[in-house]
Amino acid sequence: MPRNSRFMNRTLISIHAVLLLATVGGCHKQAGEAVRDIGPEATAYYQAHPDFFHFATPADLPADLVWHDGHDVPEFAAPEAKRGGTLHGWIDDFPRTLRFYGPDSAGTFRSFILDDWALGLLGRQPNTGQYVPSLARAWAYGKDRCTMYFRLDPDARYCDGVPVRADDYLFAFFIFSSRYIHDPFTNNYIAKTFRSVTKYDDLTIAITAQEPKPDIEDRLALGPVPEHFYRELGDDYPERYQWRLEPTTGPYTVKSEDVHKGSSIDLTRVPHWWADDKPFFRHRFNVDRIHLEVIRDTNKAFESFKRGDVDLFSLREPQYWYDKLPDGDPLVQRGCIAKAVFYNQVPCITYGFYVNTAQPLLDHRDIREGIAYAANFDLVDQRYFHGDYVRMQTSSDGYALVPFPGIHPRPFSTDQALVSFARAGFTKRGPDGILVNGQGQRLSFTVTSYHDTLRDVLTILRQEAAKAGLELNIEILDGTTGAKKIMEKHHQIAFMAFQPSGARYPDYWQMFDSANADKPQTNNITNTVDPALDRLIAAYDRAQTMDEIRRLAYQMEVRIRDDAAFIPAYKLPFFRVGYWRWIKFPREFATRESDDGGVELAGVMGDGLFWIDQDARPAVLAARDSGPTLAPEIKVYDQWKAK
Amino acid sequence: MVFRLDPITRRKLRRFRSLRRGWWSFLALAALLVLAAFAELLVNSRALVVRYQGHTYFPTYTAFHPGTDFGESYTYEADYRRLQARFRRAGRGDWVLLPVVPYNPYENSFAAGVYPPARPSLAERHFLGTDTTGRDVLARLFYGFRIAMIFSLLYLALVYLVGISIGCLMGYFGGGFDLAAQRIVEIWSNMPFLYIVIIVASILTPNLGLLLGIVVLFSWTGMTYYMRTATYKEKARDYVAAAEVLGAGSGRVIFSHILPNAISTIVTFIPFTVNDALTALTALDFLGFGLPPPTPSWGELLHQGTANLDAPWIVASTFAALVIVLSLVTFIGESIREAFDAKKFTIYE
Repeated sequence: MPRNSRFMNRTLISIHAVLLLATVGGCHKQAGEAVRDIGPEATAYYQAHPDFFHFATPADLPADLVWHDGHDVPEFAAPEAKRGGTLHGWIDDFPRTLRFYGPDSAGTFRSFILDDWALGLLGRQPNTGQYVPSLARAWAYGKDRCTMYFRLDPDARYCDGVPVRADDYLFAFFIFSSRYIHDPFTNNYIAKTFRSVTKYDDLTIAITAQEPKPDIEDRLALGPVPEHFYRELGDDYPERYQWRLEPTTGPYTVKSEDVHKGSSIDLTRVPHWWADDKPFFRHRFNVDRIHLEVIRDTNKAFESFKRGDVDLFSLREPQYWYDKLPDGDPLVQRGCIAKAVFYNQVPCITYGFYVNTAQPLLDHRDIREGIAYAANFDLVDQRYFHGDYVRMQTSSDGYALVPFPGIHPRPFSTDQALVSFARAGFTKRGPDGILVNGQGQRLSFTVTSYHDTLRDVLTILRQEAAKAGLELNIEILDGTTGAKKIMEKHHQIAFMAFQPSGARYPDYWQMFDSANADKPQTNNITNTVDPALDRLIAAYDRAQTMDEIRRLAYQMEVRIRDDAAFIPAYKLPFFRVGYWRWIKFPREFATRESDDGGVELAGVMGDGLFWIDQDARPAVLAARDSGPTLAPEIKVYDQWKAK
Repeated sequence: MVFRLDPITRRKLRRFRSLRRGWWSFLALAALLVLAAFAELLVNSRALVVRYQGHTYFPTYTAFHPGTDFGESYTYEADYRRLQARFRRAGRGDWVLLPVVPYNPYENSFAAGVYPPARPSLAERHFLGTDTTGRDVLARLFYGFRIAMIFSLLYLALVYLVGISIGCLMGYFGGGFDLAAQRIVEIWSNMPFLYIVIIVASILTPNLGLLLGIVVLFSWTGMTYYMRTATYKEKARDYVAAAEVLGAGSGRVIFSHILPNAISTIVTFIPFTVNDALTALTALDFLGFGLPPPTPSWGELLHQGTANLDAPWIVASTFAALVIVLSLVTFIGESIREAFDAKKFTIYE
C-alpha cells in the first residue's frame, strides 16, 4: 500500500480511534520550565469561531431527547479472567515517536498507545455492533440527524488523576484544527467532518457533523484531549512532545522509565483505572504489564516464541502454521503451545491487480478482461497458500453491513482469456507462445509490486498467464520507489493492497472517482474514469441510510467488475495464532471484529479478553522440559465463519 | 591481437598440467561449462524428440508447439510430460523422449496432495526436490549456474579490458597522468560499491547487462595497480627502448610489446576474479537486489533455503553446488599461481 494512503488510512483510523476509543496516557510529570500556556490562545480561538464552539446551559438542551445507555447490550468478557502478570510480546521496530499527531506518528506502534486502547465517548460491542457506554454514560440523537448529545461519566479520569470534562472536547477541536500539530490531514478531516461542538455544562456536550450519515456514532464519539498536558503546545510540538505520551483514559500507559530506545518498551496498567468495574470494561485488560521487545527479524522472533520468551505469535502465514510449527511439533504435541484459528468478519485488505487504464493497450476493456481471466489466483490460493486464502470477490469484501451476494470475480480460463484478447486484435501466438496483434505488438505487461513477499505469487501467475498468451514481467521495487511509481501512475499493473479505512462501509471516491484519476498521489491508481460510476459515487457519498448505501454500493461493484480494472486476488477469512498455554482465552476466544493486527498481535490484545494463569506456568514448563505432557490443544473457532 | 606462446609460457602451462588437483578441477569445470551450454538438452520441459502420427519433431530449439499439434485440446505450449503418459497409455506407436530432468527452471509443478516445497523424488524426477513455488531445484541450480558463469566470464573480460588498458597507460606514461589516474582510482575504489548496486537495483529492475555494467563500473580499479607496476617494470627494459627507437607508437609498444610480457602477472588472478563475480552475483541475489524474478539464481535459492530450513534440500543442494564450483575455481587458481610462480621461471640476465 502506498505510504501516503497508508498514512491517510492510519490517520483515519486514528481519528476514529480518538473518536471512538480514545487516548493512552503518559502520566509522568513534566518539570515546570518557562511559563508557557496555550490556554488563553485556545479560549481566544473559541471566541473567534462562534459558529463552531457553542456555549449553552443545560436548560438549552432539547426537551424531547431520548437518552440511551446500552444497558440491554450483553457484555462479552469472561468473568473467570484473572488479573495480573506480564505479557511478553514483540515489535519489529522501535516507535519513532510517542506523539499521536504530526510526523512519524502513523507507525504501527500507535495501535498500542492509541487505536486499540484509548477510549472514546462510545464503545461498540464487537459481536453485535451495538454501541455501549464508554467515556459517555448516556447519549442521545438530535432531530437534525447530524447532532449527538453526550453525558460524560463523572468518574472518567486520565491516568494522572485529572477528571475528563467538557472543556477537553472543546480543546480537542482546537488542537485538531491547529497548525501546531503539523498534521494537515487531521486538520482537513476535522474541517470536513464536523460542524460544531456545544458545551452545556462540565459533563454534557453535543457534537454536530457536517452531514447525516448512518455511522454517525463512529464519526462523532471522539476522545478528549487533556488541555493540561498540552500547555506547552507551540510550533515545536513535534520535538517537544516527541517522547511524551498523552495521559490516557484507557487501561495502559507507558512510564518514561520503561522506554528503552531501540530495545524495548513496556506498557503498564493504570493503577485503580477508573473503568475497572464498569460494565463492558470489567474482566478485560487483565495483564498488569505488557513487555514489548524489539526483534527486527520475524524468524528470530519466532525462535524466541518457541523458546518461550515471547508468549504469542501470529501464525497467519501458511509456512508458519504448516511448516515451522506443524501440529506434530513436540511443543504442540506436549501441550506447551496451543494453536488457534479464529474466523473473523472484518473489512479485507484489498489485494489485487490494479490495471492502469491510462496505459496503451490497457485502456482496452477487452484486454483487461482477458488479464482477469488469465490471472490464476485460484491456483495460488489452492496450491501455494494451502487453500487457506480464498478468492477475494469484490473490491470491498468483509463489510458486515454491506454484502455483495452474487458478485464474483472472473475465474481462470485460458479459453475465455483468448476470446477476450482476440476481440482486442490479439489473435496469433508468437514463437514463444505470447500473443501478437496485427501490428506485431506483443501482449506483454509489467506487474509492479513493492512487497517482496509477493515475489513467489507473481512467478506462479506469470507461468499461468503465459498459457493464455499473456506475458507478465515481474518488477519488485523497494517500498519507497515502488509506491512512488504507482502513486505517480507510471505502472502498467500494480499488485498491491489498500488497508480498509476502519469505517463500516467502503469508500469508493478515493479509488474510483474520476476526480482522482490521472493525478499523482491519489488512490485512484487504476485511473478509472467512468461518468456513470462518478454519479453513483456522488449519490453514495450523500446517502443517509444504510439501505441506500447497500443499494448504491452493489451497483458500483457491478460496474467495477465489468470494467475489470481491479482484479481481486485473495483474502484470509481468519486469523490464527500460537500461544503458550499459560495464556488463557475466553471460551469464544475473540470477538467478531477482532483481527490479529499483523505480527505485533496488537489486534488480539486490543480487546484485552485474555489473561495469564500463573498457576499453569510450572506445568507447561515441565511439559516442555520432558516432564509429564499436557493434552495438545489445536482449536478452530468458526462461530463467525461466513456461511 | 595474437599472442604467440613463448617457451616460458609453454613451460608454465606444462607445469600447470602436471599439478593434478588444478588440472582435474579445470577439466571438471570445463565439462560443466560444456554441459551448461547444452542445458536445454539435459534439463528442460520440452521433449528432445516427439514421434506423433508418423512425424518426428525436435522441439528443443524451435518455436513452441501448441498442444493442438499433438492432439491436445489447448493452444498453449504442449505439456510433454503429460503427452508422454498419454502416448504410453494409447500404445499407438507414438512416443516422447524427455530430457533427464524433464522440467524447465520456471514452471511450477504442483504434485497432487503435496504442497511445495516438495522433497526430492526419483519417481517425479525432482532429483533435488522443489522450491517454495514448486519449481525444480536441480533445474534452477543448473540454469542458475549457466547464468552465473556467463556473468562471471563477461565480468572477467570487461574488468580486464578496462583495468589492463588504464593500468598500462598509467605505467607507460607515468608522470602527471599516472598521478591523476591514481587519485581517481583511489576515490573510485572507495565508493561503497554494494550500496550503490542496492540503490540502483531498487530504483530500476536490473537485467544481466545492467547489473554487469554496475558491478564492472566499480570493480575495474583493482586490476590497474598490478598492470601499472608491471608496465613500469617492463618499460625500463631494453626491448621497449628498442621498439621506441624503431619508431613504434605508444599503442603498439604497450599492446604488442609490453602487454604480452606483463600478462603473466594477471593470469594468476583470473580464477579468483571469477570467484569474486560468482559470489558478488550470489550475494546480490540473496539480498534481493540481483537479477529480477523469476531468473534462476543461486542467491535466490540460498535465500529461500535459509528462510525454509524445514526444507533442507533447498539450502543443502545450493550450498553444495556453491562449495563445489567455488572450490573448483579456487583449485584452478592455486595451481595457476604455482605454475606461473615468478620465482621458478624468472631468468635474470
